[in-house]
Amino acid sequence: MITTAVFLPLIAAIIAGAMAFTNTGDDKAKKARLDMMAQYVTCGGLLLSAIFAIVIFKDVALGGNAQTVQLFSWIESGSLNISWALRVDSLTAVMMIVVTVVSAMVHVYSIGYMSHDPDVPRFMAYLSLFTFFMLMLVTADNLVQMFFGWEGVGLSSYLLIGFWYNKPSANAAAIKAFVVNRVGDFGFALGIFTVFMMFDSVNLDEIFTAVPMKANDTISVFGGQFHGLTVACLLLFVGAMGKSAQLGLHTWLPDAMEGPTPVSALIHAATMVTAGVFMVARLSPLFEYSEVALSVVTIVGGSTAIFAATIACTQTDIKRVIAYSTCSQLGYMFFACGVSAYSAGIFHLMTHGFFKALLFLGAGSVIHAMSDEQDMRKMGGIRKMIPVTYALMWVGSLALAGIWPFAGFYSKDIILEAAWGAHTLTGGYAFWMGILAAFLTAFYSWRVILMTFHGESRADERVLAHVHESPKVMLVPLIVLAAGALFAGYIGYESFVGQKGVEFWGSAILVLDSHQALEAAHHAPFWVKYLPLGVGVAGIGLAYVLYMWKPAIPALIVDQIRPLYTFVHNKWYFDEAYDFLFVKPAFYIGRNLWKTGDGALIDGLGPDGLSAVTLNLAKRVARLQSGYLYHYVFAMLGGIIVLITMYMLLGG
Amino acid sequence: MDEILLEYLPILIFLGIAIVIAGICVGASYVVAQQRPDVAKTSAYECGFDAFDDARRQFDVRFYLVAILFIIFDLEIAFLFPWAISLGDIGLYGFWSMMVFLGVLTIGFIYEWRKGALEWE
Amino acid sequence: MTEIPNMVPVIPEIFVAVIGMALLMLGVFQKAADDATEVKTAHLVSRLGMISLVLTMMLVATVAGSTFNTFSGMFVSDPFAVYFKILILFASALTLAISHNYMENQGIARFEYTVLVIFATLGMMIMISASNLMSLYLGLEMQSLSLYVIATFNRDDERSTEAGLKYFVLGAVASGMLLYGSSLVYGFSGTTDFQMLGNMFDGDHAPDASLGLIVGIVFILAGLSFKVSAVPFHMWTPDVYEGAPTPVTAFFSVGPKIAAIALFIRVMVGPFGDLVQHWQQIIVLISVASMLLGAFAAINQTNIKRMMAYSSIGHVGYALIGLVVANEAGVRGIMIYMAVYLFMNIGAFACILTMRRAGRMVEKISDLSGLSKTHPMVAAALAIFMFSMAGIPPLAGFFSKLYIFFAAVESGFFALAIIGVLSSVVGAFYYLRIIKVVYFDPPDETLDTPIDRNLGYVIFGTALIVVLFFAFPGIIIDGASAAAAAMFTK
Repeated sequence: MITTAVFLPLIAAIIAGAMAFTNTGDDKAKKARLDMMAQYVTCGGLLLSAIFAIVIFKDVALGGNAQTVQLFSWIESGSLNISWALRVDSLTAVMMIVVTVVSAMVHVYSIGYMSHDPDVPRFMAYLSLFTFFMLMLVTADNLVQMFFGWEGVGLSSYLLIGFWYNKPSANAAAIKAFVVNRVGDFGFALGIFTVFMMFDSVNLDEIFTAVPMKANDTISVFGGQFHGLTVACLLLFVGAMGKSAQLGLHTWLPDAMEGPTPVSALIHAATMVTAGVFMVARLSPLFEYSEVALSVVTIVGGSTAIFAATIACTQTDIKRVIAYSTCSQLGYMFFACGVSAYSAGIFHLMTHGFFKALLFLGAGSVIHAMSDEQDMRKMGGIRKMIPVTYALMWVGSLALAGIWPFAGFYSKDIILEAAWGAHTLTGGYAFWMGILAAFLTAFYSWRVILMTFHGESRADERVLAHVHESPKVMLVPLIVLAAGALFAGYIGYESFVGQKGVEFWGSAILVLDSHQALEAAHHAPFWVKYLPLGVGVAGIGLAYVLYMWKPAIPALIVDQIRPLYTFVHNKWYFDEAYDFLFVKPAFYIGRNLWKTGDGALIDGLGPDGLSAVTLNLAKRVARLQSGYLYHYVFAMLGGIIVLITMYMLLGG
Repeated sequence: MDEILLEYLPILIFLGIAIVIAGICVGASYVVAQQRPDVAKTSAYECGFDAFDDARRQFDVRFYLVAILFIIFDLEIAFLFPWAISLGDIGLYGFWSMMVFLGVLTIGFIYEWRKGALEWE
Repeated sequence: MTEIPNMVPVIPEIFVAVIGMALLMLGVFQKAADDATEVKTAHLVSRLGMISLVLTMMLVATVAGSTFNTFSGMFVSDPFAVYFKILILFASALTLAISHNYMENQGIARFEYTVLVIFATLGMMIMISASNLMSLYLGLEMQSLSLYVIATFNRDDERSTEAGLKYFVLGAVASGMLLYGSSLVYGFSGTTDFQMLGNMFDGDHAPDASLGLIVGIVFILAGLSFKVSAVPFHMWTPDVYEGAPTPVTAFFSVGPKIAAIALFIRVMVGPFGDLVQHWQQIIVLISVASMLLGAFAAINQTNIKRMMAYSSIGHVGYALIGLVVANEAGVRGIMIYMAVYLFMNIGAFACILTMRRAGRMVEKISDLSGLSKTHPMVAAALAIFMFSMAGIPPLAGFFSKLYIFFAAVESGFFALAIIGVLSSVVGAFYYLRIIKVVYFDPPDETLDTPIDRNLGYVIFGTALIVVLFFAFPGIIIDGASAAAAAMFTK
């Protein structure tokens, strides 16, 4: 069953891909039929896969029946033994549910959203392919297979961001996502090498059993001796930072919004970007032994949370706001892991998966209604026209802001409490950054709602005339996700982070006895428990004041703090800095290497030079052929003299 | 070594006699005969062109045809002499070998005959 | 009384000789009243010639598998000889198949052509089976004399007569060298028999070889190099290939070459095999020079027949690598190489023979432009042959080179293999240029469309062999392996 659940999306992707290839004729009816078939196949495959995932979850996580399915051997070379295997424990089961359920919803939603697109089968094939790779990633039983899934989702992400390949900005965004992720992946790959160097294995079980024995080993890097596990963990974390768009390697995520909205919901909110969090949680037995690595994770997570939240407050593109929000929420998950509250991180990952997908798809519904308009400044006052979407956006935003009893309340609270409960400097930093970010989160969430749905409409007549509620095929997935956003927190709390946690996670997550943040979280004082809720409500209130009751104030404030606003609005100048530091020099070096290095030097001496020499030689050789008989005889006699002389000198 | 040389002695003697006789003939004609040369007399025989002249001149290929055909049969004779002498030693095999050889030659002869190579006009 | 020798191994040669003479008589007794009957006679003789060559192939095949020595050791028939004879007979039969239409178009359709090809074939068969310096020379001259004549077969054409004359004069020089070398060898060893020569240098006696003998070997080697057109004895090749009638060029590029390569192996590996360290360096030089010259000189050619001439020089260079190695793997490599070379070369020339514009033959490379439009099938076949000659997998030409280079590498001749690979890279340039002209250059004028049926068959068949070699390599490789093994079992 596990195998079926993992491979169904692949089969669906292959079938849909085949349809995409045959779908070339001008026959409209045939095309429509093929489109529909591709949609049925992929949605059916995913729904079935989701049902399987739930059954697996029941068996594995609730029944405590962790297992590994060996498929077949992959690489055998010396001491390197890698096989394809599906390792399913509680952590994987949770991820599988998130991935398959959200993916299934997104698939169904796409039927409606992409109905006007000419390349439906291709889109559905990409989506299913992505899902397969994601499942491969979460079920990996060794680092190499995880890397395979990791790169696979990167590839699918590239294909999907650039799905509308006629749009230059989409292509640029796809390339950017790919290149920035390469930086992370390089770290990941180096991390795998380091692990292999230390443990002589990439198999997770073997590594985990060996960790305590190697806990204090050092390795030599660039001549210095370093704590081996710290080096490995930091390198692996660089990979996680890339995929999860953490501070420094986050720049690709907002740009990735160029892709179709279902893609943003599936890949850039619910699943792929959480792969980094998953990886840290999965490798908790490694990270637990490196205080330094954990501190770095905490600091990066806390910084990202606040950093992205500030930017989200100033963006006007509805999807970009949600994208920065995602970035910020990922920061929460990371610092949860950083204070060893892995289960809290995964808990937030799950609830976030539901409500962020809901928000994205809701935003997609808005965009769909507004004839592909994404700028919030050109929206407003449409709540009466699309009431269902409006209500669902409320649900999603409430969950994001962490208002009781929505899912976000439970997961975000436990994270902040754990950060407080860590009683460390870094934990404290993360806690206060998280509180601040929670305030901003509530603020920008309502900024979105108010700017989009309330007030006077700023859209033009033609667009307004077309505003319509989305079809049922788009709304039903939204409702399913809304149910998740409503209840996932309440249902999951006890099992994930509460009293049943130890039993629930089994051996999937390892927390050393010295790291008791999660335990301490349950005994946090009153103010710690209710501060997040308080700042959330305050944020909502502020948004109402600024964007509903006194719409003139934001402009005044912006005027007052113009430099700060510009700095934040321009995303802290990260893109510009990277452009200056890396892109321009790279282009410069590249151009130089191309013009002088490759063009003049290598081509000049190599292919071009060689061909010139060749042609020259050819001309000379051809001139030898004079056509005169006596020249020929002379050559023959000369030849024999040379041969005999040569024999005399060398042969004897 | 000496034995091998001794075997070649008759050839050396033959060579000497030939040179002497040839020398006598040429020398005698200078001594005895009357010398009254003219153009026709000093020219070469009917080869169609001068022996000591520009090589790039038209000539009649028929002279060459005849000469080449002659050489073939001349060589045939050269083979026939030793064969005839040693016929007693080589027996039937030797006899039939020569017959096949002559047969092949005859076929060539028939070909040139049919092709008209032997006709002057 | 002299014993009557065993005639059984010689039956194929006798058959060919008798057929040749019979066809000569048949032709000459047909009434040559006018041109039409002459063409008809030529056609009939050509057909009969082809049939009898195929029959000969069967006769040769019947003596396959065992080794006979006959005519007092002058003539040997072993698997090695059988393999090469079958290749030769293929070459001759295919040549006759692609010739007739051309000859008729050029107004030189005469039955003597077929007869001469058959006599040349007989000469080659004798060369291949020679196991004595004298029978070697006999076969060689028989072949050469026939070839001199057919090189100049279009005797009203200046270039054809020039080609024949050059070939004759230079061939005579080469024969002189060969004879001189033979007499030196005889003078210093006292025998012309390969078996006895081989015994003389067997094992410990190898260092005994005197200087004069080695010089004799070098002269023989030079004479043979001329026949295979290896550098520096290649000068005649481009001129003769260009001038001779195209089907004759096709024949020159395969038949005599294969026979001479066989002779090369026979002489060098057989009687002088134990002197390998004496002649190895010389063959290395010849091989390298041939590969490089073949690669470089072909680039500037505009006439496709001239280009093929340089191409064939290059191919001989590759084949000679196998001789340098001088072991079973090397010889097997040569044998596979020559078989593949035979089919792709005949195929390529058959394609060239389709180049006809308003009834006249054209042979500039640029004339091929637009071939892909007028003759898509021929263009595809030509592309296959060119790719194969360039050594592009999975075509036969790739594997033949592979076996040769493998043999070289296995025996440690890395430099030779590297030079071979590099020069085949250069060579790929001009082969691929032809494909470029065929497929991408705009045509100036179209070529005549209906092509001769026989040409079509030959092109199709050879292309099929070149393409499918990788699927059924066993037929050629097994034969070559057995034949090469026979060469090394004494």
